[in-house]
Amino acid sequence: MADREAFDDLWYRGKVTRRTLIGYGAATAGALGATMLVPAPWQAAFGQAKAYKIGTTQPLSGAGAAGGKTALVGVQMAVDRINKSGGVNGRPVELVIADDESKPDVGRRKTEKLLVEDKVDAHVGGFLSNICLACMPVYEEYKIVNIIGVCLDTTITTTKCNRYTFRPFDYAPSQAVAFAPQLVKMGKRWHIAYADYSWGQSTKDAYADQIKKVGGEIAGTTGIPLGTADMTPFLSKISGNFDGLFGIFFGKDGVTIGNQAFDLGLTKKYKWAGDGAIAESTNIPALGSKIEGFIGINRYIPVFEPPLNTPAHKKFFDDAKARLKQIDSSGPDPDRYVQSNYEAFNALKLGMEKSKFRGREDTDKLIAALEGLEMKEGDDFPQGDKLLRKEDHQAFLRQFIFEIKGGKPKIVQVVDREKTVFPPACKFA
Amino acid sequence: MGIPWDLIIIQTVNGVVTGMILALVASGLTLIFGIMDVVNFAHGELFMLGAYMGVVVLATSGSFWLALVIAVLVVALLGAAMQIVTLRPLLGRDPLTTILATFGISLVLQNYALWQFGPVARKIQEPFTGRFNLFYLEYPYYRLLIAALSGAIIGGFWLFLKYGKYGIWIRATTQDRVMAQAMGIPVPLVHTAVFAIGAGMAAASGVLFGPLVGVNHMMGLDWVLKAFIVVVVGGMGNLGGSVLAAIFISLLEAYASIWVNPSQAVIASFIVLILTLLFRPTGLFVPTPK
Repeated sequence: MADREAFDDLWYRGKVTRRTLIGYGAATAGALGATMLVPAPWQAAFGQAKAYKIGTTQPLSGAGAAGGKTALVGVQMAVDRINKSGGVNGRPVELVIADDESKPDVGRRKTEKLLVEDKVDAHVGGFLSNICLACMPVYEEYKIVNIIGVCLDTTITTTKCNRYTFRPFDYAPSQAVAFAPQLVKMGKRWHIAYADYSWGQSTKDAYADQIKKVGGEIAGTTGIPLGTADMTPFLSKISGNFDGLFGIFFGKDGVTIGNQAFDLGLTKKYKWAGDGAIAESTNIPALGSKIEGFIGINRYIPVFEPPLNTPAHKKFFDDAKARLKQIDSSGPDPDRYVQSNYEAFNALKLGMEKSKFRGREDTDKLIAALEGLEMKEGDDFPQGDKLLRKEDHQAFLRQFIFEIKGGKPKIVQVVDREKTVFPPACKFA
Repeated sequence: MGIPWDLIIIQTVNGVVTGMILALVASGLTLIFGIMDVVNFAHGELFMLGAYMGVVVLATSGSFWLALVIAVLVVALLGAAMQIVTLRPLLGRDPLTTILATFGISLVLQNYALWQFGPVARKIQEPFTGRFNLFYLEYPYYRLLIAALSGAIIGGFWLFLKYGKYGIWIRATTQDRVMAQAMGIPVPLVHTAVFAIGAGMAAASGVLFGPLVGVNHMMGLDWVLKAFIVVVVGGMGNLGGSVLAAIFISLLEAYASIWVNPSQAVIASFIVLILTLLFRPTGLFVPTPK
């Protein structure tokens, strides 16, 4: 009991008097007041011009936080660049950031807050597909344009498409169209291992269809739950007579399958290929030499081989690298999440300029401007040209098939935008 | 269709290896609960911090074994500090307060790791990379080493509890806190030491498992969820029960994955948890309560 008293004394010895309370209160109010006197960075440049409020929802905590942090870098790069170069239609952009905590219910709640309380004019972002899908009906209900930043689930622009949501980068069917001929050249029979959730499932279906369409076969599929730390019991079952193992994973799951498939000898026994997210620049340090020889497809890889040896790409790369160094001391190269968020914001900017967007009341004009939007390679779109298709709000862009050699991606083939086109499968309500 | 004996043997090896890693994680958890009645929601983050500490020491010293030892010591010290600062003042209060406190600590540690180390996953290079043929697979020796080391750590700790003077203090405190104090055992110190040992065990498993997954701020999540199941199924606070439950659940998932898909196989452990709570809430591997 003596202990108990000693601890009580330790923890309750501080007495709160009226004087200390008033003192701390006044100091806090003073500090808050002082911060309010400092204008937002864009106000100095734009005077009284009313800022566009653009929301961005990213997973800044929870399972998707690592990717969400790099995605946010892309958005912030675009906003800073826009504000430094005169804003959009002469008005600055104010970014309102929301953390969806990697949970669909939280994402939906935060989206409602962005639209109802913060009154954003449009939204750019969304990382995890299940959260994008949960939030899409909210944008539709409030009639606000939603530009997807990362979510790759196929149904976003097919069976679950809506008028207000746009995806200004690729999706699995177009990557499958681009990659399947190369895969079948590598081997006829494939086994697909995939992350067993919305994105993984729809991507697996897209590749299975395209591989069969170009004369290949699917020997089997293995869906592994998202976030599985030890995949070995499930990978051990993968055996038999097939030529290649195709992986569809991202983030830490990409690191796990890369390490554990190598450890079991699967990547030596079979051809090893997959979605480029497995060998994303942010995953390569943790994969080390175990990812050597991996063949992947990606919309963006941080290299300066043609056609990415442009001044625009160099500018993007240097800015992104410097900003990433601030959030990770290892100074990673930019990944596709930085690129697609950066370009998604620039697509919105282009649409706002084209439609002379003033605010929410011009959402219909903005939609009309974004439908069929041509994006030309340059400082706004360092990855290359893009077309945002009117029928399903899905973009088409060139793809890079790459191989990991010496711990770095090397371009094996560039697939032109025209060769990635997949027919639309969307009916807007 | 015949019985796939090769796959059954492979999955037995997988189940035992995974079970031993899980047992090491769960041992710390069950020990802390057994002695302090604290459900430590920050255990997964201690696992993760251990792995990060391993990365740092490995980068500076180049020695995996030194990284393992230093990570265990540093995280054990951190665990001791955590117990003194946040849990000791809550002793004897509603268990909900300690659950909330450890949950809060877990969020702080997760976000600290993300802030400190950034979003890029880090690598711990395994000390050796040899493999042997196991039917159609090449199986890494390192996985067997993890199982053996986990077994050795748990076994050593069991011997310490059974025969060591301070082990007897811990067992006495587990049995009757008030009587132990009356007999002159410094109960608060025992609590702190046990928390430190549990944290050290979590750190050891983090370093050992790190080479298989890459080190990231969420790496403890999957393990700690399973460890909670193991602790309940093995009997809360029962060290031997937790070890058996860890192997049992891992084998069950591994065997289930022969016939059903991985998502269904993972459900097997939850079914065992529900059945245990329904029919034998004291745990599967404890003597029948009288």
